[in-house]
Amino acid sequence: MNSKFMNELPELVKHNVISQQTASKIEDYYQAKEQNSPNRLFTVFGVLGSLLVGLGIILILAHNWDDFSRFTKSILAFVPLVLGQLIVGYIIFKNRSTTWKESSGTFLFFAVGSSIALISQIYNIPGDISSFLLTWILLCVPLVYLLKSNTLAMLHIAFATYYACNYGYGYLNMGKTPWLYLVLLALVLPHYLQLLKERPKSNITSIFNWILPLSFIITLGSFVNGFDEIGFVMYMSLFGLFYNIGKTPFFSDGKLRRNGYLIFGSLGTVFLFLWASFKWFWEENYHPLKLTQELMISLFLIVLTTVILVYSYSKRWVKGFNLIQSAYLIFAVMFFLNSGNHIVPTVLVNLVILALGLVTVKIGTDKFHFGILNYGLLIITALVVCRFFDTDMSYVVRGLLFVSVGIGFFVTNYIMLQKKKKLINQNQKL
Amino acid sequence: MKPLHLFSIFVLVAIAQLFIPSQMILGQKKILSDGTPYKFITQPIDPSDPFKGKYIRLDFEISSLATNDSTWNRQEDVFVVIENDDYGFARVKEVTRQKPEGKDFLEAKVSWYNAYDKELNLSFPFDEFYMNENKAYDAEMAHRDAQRDSIKNNTYALVFIKDGEAVLDNVFINEIPIADFVE
Repeated sequence: MNSKFMNELPELVKHNVISQQTASKIEDYYQAKEQNSPNRLFTVFGVLGSLLVGLGIILILAHNWDDFSRFTKSILAFVPLVLGQLIVGYIIFKNRSTTWKESSGTFLFFAVGSSIALISQIYNIPGDISSFLLTWILLCVPLVYLLKSNTLAMLHIAFATYYACNYGYGYLNMGKTPWLYLVLLALVLPHYLQLLKERPKSNITSIFNWILPLSFIITLGSFVNGFDEIGFVMYMSLFGLFYNIGKTPFFSDGKLRRNGYLIFGSLGTVFLFLWASFKWFWEENYHPLKLTQELMISLFLIVLTTVILVYSYSKRWVKGFNLIQSAYLIFAVMFFLNSGNHIVPTVLVNLVILALGLVTVKIGTDKFHFGILNYGLLIITALVVCRFFDTDMSYVVRGLLFVSVGIGFFVTNYIMLQKKKKLINQNQKL
Repeated sequence: MKPLHLFSIFVLVAIAQLFIPSQMILGQKKILSDGTPYKFITQPIDPSDPFKGKYIRLDFEISSLATNDSTWNRQEDVFVVIENDDYGFARVKEVTRQKPEGKDFLEAKVSWYNAYDKELNLSFPFDEFYMNENKAYDAEMAHRDAQRDSIKNNTYALVFIKDGEAVLDNVFINEIPIADFVE
């Protein structure tokens, strides 16, 4: 882990930067630290190995070996399951290392799935995939806590997402809502909260910070039953919720790459606003308001997001007005007040996107952050590109718009680079 | 929590993991041993399942029947009373919303009602027959070839029925099990 640093030590000693004694102490410190921490690489390969073996067993047995009798096939279906259980039982009893727990848990997870699938195959039990997945996931939930396994928690979220999609999406599933998906996620929530509490800055917690919002984004559409248009408000509110969660100091004080909530929230909000910047959006999505399941979900998400936003203001986590944090409210108000006249909302949405872009550019320059600065410029570019397709502006005007945005990219980046250089020079002089 | 306590909870989890597939086997075995066998004329098609492998989907002749009753809703649960016709194949005697007494019946779902043809389409809970992955497609072809040899469809599924539940035992072409027929 610190091999680069360790390699530097002899040079530092040679040039009398540190003493030989200090160098030895540093070496001892890192060696002791490495011995205490589990070998991550070994864990990753162990889990990958178990995953591949588990999936391989499912495929080998799915071949359907019709030379064997039903009884023999049934016994064979139980072999991986019992084997996995014996290994996991032994590892729990002996309290073996994390590597063993993660690998054996992963193997048992797939063994449970394969045994149920094979019994269904042997006895020609049809059943839809969603009920099969539900049984499988529920039978493996306790393993997440018994083995304290992050891999099993991730598999749980991935398969719960698969379940929700299989249950709620598709023409044949009209009118079906995967409410049990929420229960499934609630079952793994204590594990995630414990990770946030005990290891908020570890890589594994960051992975959960990404896959949990991603799972919600993928599945939210399956909660829409026919009343499609309100789905836009549902999604906008969800992105608003994620952005506001990502803006709380717990997440925003860390590195940006660990904050999946903020990135998904921001990208989703901008994407939906761009989608709504076309006039056909407001012409098509106009209907009288009815008290439907989708409206209730939208209202729930709006209220929840607003509570977090108000709480953030009361705690002074947010200073001043941040447009992107309140964008979900602006969108919801425009959507519910839409009377079929597309001009007002279209113009408003375009102005909001322009403002979002400019605000982001300003934040980027204030923080000397090139990433945020260029993200702001990209928002403005995307807006210009969208208008390229649906306005009757002459080619010259459109061309000039593109040229000016392009020059904007160069100029803002150049100015900020110069400012940064100036600041560094000043600091060096001091 | 101590390892011994964790282990005790794990034993309970392991028992549940073993119980579910075992229960599935026992339920199917009981219907196969105590149920009444019926022959359902069918046509096989060859799809596959990501977990269970290749199967032939069975399209049953009696899954669509003429009726003037147009009150059936999609995905509605219904009871289908089954009896044998003069040739020894299964036929639908009645479709009802009330559980029948003293007759062999199936629990099925309404697929859709075709108002133009006045035809009710049903979905039976035994329309997947799992086969060796190399034989599933051949089975579909074999059925198609066998169709050319005779006038009447000679492919049927042997289904055991007991108290509304059904287990698909095997599929036959010209009285030969389909897996043997394609070899």
